[in-house]
Amino acid sequence: MPFSSNRREFLVQVGAAAVGAALGGPALAQTSKPMAERPRPRVVVGRDEALAKGEPAEHAEPIRKLLDAAMQRLTGASDAAAAWRTFFQPANRIGIKVNTLGYSTHPVVVDAIVAGLRAAGVPAENILIWDRFDSELVRAKFRLNKSTTGVRCFGTDADRVGRGYQEQVETNGRIGSCFSRIVAEQVDTLICVPVLKDHNLAGVSLGMKNFYGAIHNPNKYHDHNCDPYVADVVSHRFIAPKWRLTVVDAVRGQYQAGPGRSPEYFWPFGGLVVGADFVAVDAVAADLLEAKRRDAGLPTLADENRPCRHIATAGARGLGEADLKRIERVEV
Amino acid sequence: MDSLDNIFLHPTRRDVLRLGVACGAAGLLCGRRNVAAQDTAGTGALEGPKLEGVVRHEARHWESLPDRRVKCLLCPRECEVADVERGYCGVRENVGGRYQTLVYGALCSANVDPIEKKPLFHYRPGTTAFSIATAGCNIECKFCQNWQISQFRPEQVPSVEVPPQKLVDSCKAAGSPTIAYTYSEPTIFYEYMHDTAALARQQDIGSVMISNGYIQEKPMRELCRALTGAKIDLKAFTEKFYVEQCAGELKPVLHTLEVLKDVGIWFELVILIIPTLNDSADEIRQMSDWVVKHLGPNVPMHFTRYHPTYRLTNLPRTPVSTLERCRQTALDAGVRYVYLGNVPMHKGENTYCHNCGTELIHRVGMQTTDNRIRDGKCPKCGTAIPGVWSQDQALAVTSRPAEV
Ligand code: SF4
Repeated sequence: MPFSSNRREFLVQVGAAAVGAALGGPALAQTSKPMAERPRPRVVVGRDEALAKGEPAEHAEPIRKLLDAAMQRLTGASDAAAAWRTFFQPANRIGIKVNTLGYSTHPVVVDAIVAGLRAAGVPAENILIWDRFDSELVRAKFRLNKSTTGVRCFGTDADRVGRGYQEQVETNGRIGSCFSRIVAEQVDTLICVPVLKDHNLAGVSLGMKNFYGAIHNPNKYHDHNCDPYVADVVSHRFIAPKWRLTVVDAVRGQYQAGPGRSPEYFWPFGGLVVGADFVAVDAVAADLLEAKRRDAGLPTLADENRPCRHIATAGARGLGEADLKRIERVEV
Repeated sequence: MDSLDNIFLHPTRRDVLRLGVACGAAGLLCGRRNVAAQDTAGTGALEGPKLEGVVRHEARHWESLPDRRVKCLLCPRECEVADVERGYCGVRENVGGRYQTLVYGALCSANVDPIEKKPLFHYRPGTTAFSIATAGCNIECKFCQNWQISQFRPEQVPSVEVPPQKLVDSCKAAGSPTIAYTYSEPTIFYEYMHDTAALARQQDIGSVMISNGYIQEKPMRELCRALTGAKIDLKAFTEKFYVEQCAGELKPVLHTLEVLKDVGIWFELVILIIPTLNDSADEIRQMSDWVVKHLGPNVPMHFTRYHPTYRLTNLPRTPVSTLERCRQTALDAGVRYVYLGNVPMHKGENTYCHNCGTELIHRVGMQTTDNRIRDGKCPKCGTAIPGVWSQDQALAVTSRPAEV
């Protein structure tokens, strides 16, 4: 039965967590080993020049191939299905957190992720694409599915299925928030699919910042470049322990004036950034954005008084690796 | 029924907190807000109206920045907000470089309360205030009693849209001489409060703002043309408390108090005393001295009792003896009218003439049971008692134009 949990499934999840740890995911990052002794997490930057042309939606097949290649490179698996199985088991209840605020995740990238999960044997009913609002998902061209069959897709605000936010306030560090019932109660495994984009306060809006969409009061946590609040949100028990994979939609990035959609700053990067260590993925993707800003003659994010403090804080807290020198960056 | 009457026939605490308006009157008033369907799984209590059902209205007091960003100038936080984002209060949103309020007339609470419950003790005692709120707040007190509306966003809280004239009509129908903008933080529904108060004043209805005082001078002065009274929370007398417990600042609040004093509007102060956090003798002495020096001896101070709630649950209720000590400190500093709050039947609930000590107003649990003031004076010694004792006085008190 989809979205249920029993002891066997729990053991499968624990097993998956161990695999994630071996690939430099958050479980490893939270061990007591000193940073210097830990293996460098791998982050794969996949690019295909063909993707940089036209609209992202026109490139379903190349995006799927690029993602599978990136997953194989990430895991070292001999084929794509095996690569996906490294992280995901059929019994997992998987929540794919997209970003539909302003400039949004392209559904074609999420389609490629779903194809990978299906190849790994995950039933469609165990996959849920979600964000805060039904209406924003629709605007981003996701197709809602609130039925009990097929890949489901809805917002936290969806009647009957999304079920709003939990009633109790969860305190973690400096945040006090009610979490979406989707992330708190309905899924045990998370894939984060942000879009490669600028953020006017946090510097960038990537994987970690995307989980502001899991709490009821993100507006309270924008001071001081959203720091340490982003790290407080993602280190919560509803998120970090469930988070297996980040796929940054970099098919077409936006290097300025985010998080709203600003076509004048679109950047046809034609790629994906993939990894299990969510801090490392954000660090690499933020570095790509900074490089693009340099090329475009823009000041650094720090010079615009919006350094990516939240990535550094997450690294300092051991949630993952924020030091670019200690990240194995691989290109495909 | 085309009024808010049914909302407050049987008010409960839950009504006050959130659901009163939406459950009681959603379809009756406008039927326009998209309130969540009957609940399904779980309690769903925090499911709210849909985003597309939120009321949108042009905001005031903001300026444009490059790249379609805006800077809000309503409160001292001065949020710089990018397109599609909201300010700290969660109820003001940048839509393509234009700033919008999402709570214009979006009432999530409505009740007829004794004016003493605000608390305002020197403003039309024994009358009622038609009390309303929307979702949202521009600070976050860890001890907020109304966090289930103040710390949520408009789309998360069931509400109904009530245009200003309809609210004034409802207030009249309820027999209340005053509208109170209260429960959450009215600064964040400024536009609605301003327009409603201006309209109400033309129709001889007063308006009182029950606020944290965290607002900029310009909008405050502009608003004072329409208001007839205010109650301001002075949450402590240290910046540390404001930063750590409220995500706010003390200095702008003190400035607001000076502005209110300058404008000449009637206002009272409430200080929620929390054990170990803001109850030291020194702090209360400094606060009281400041009040007397900057506001004068006639601004009433209410020291009220804290109960554990929201994110501050690890401290005990405030001992009554602490409140009594605070009261005495303020009296010793020269404040003439000092009260205790949330301590029913205590003599600190009553009003005594500052000249002869005669008991003027007797209260029980935030209700006036006996008012002996005549024409604003002590019946025994004839001393004028500071306050607003009639509707004519309420409507005249801010008739001199406030500089904007
Ligand atoms: S009113 Fe709201 S948006 Fe405006 S400055 Fe204050 S918190 Fe920010």
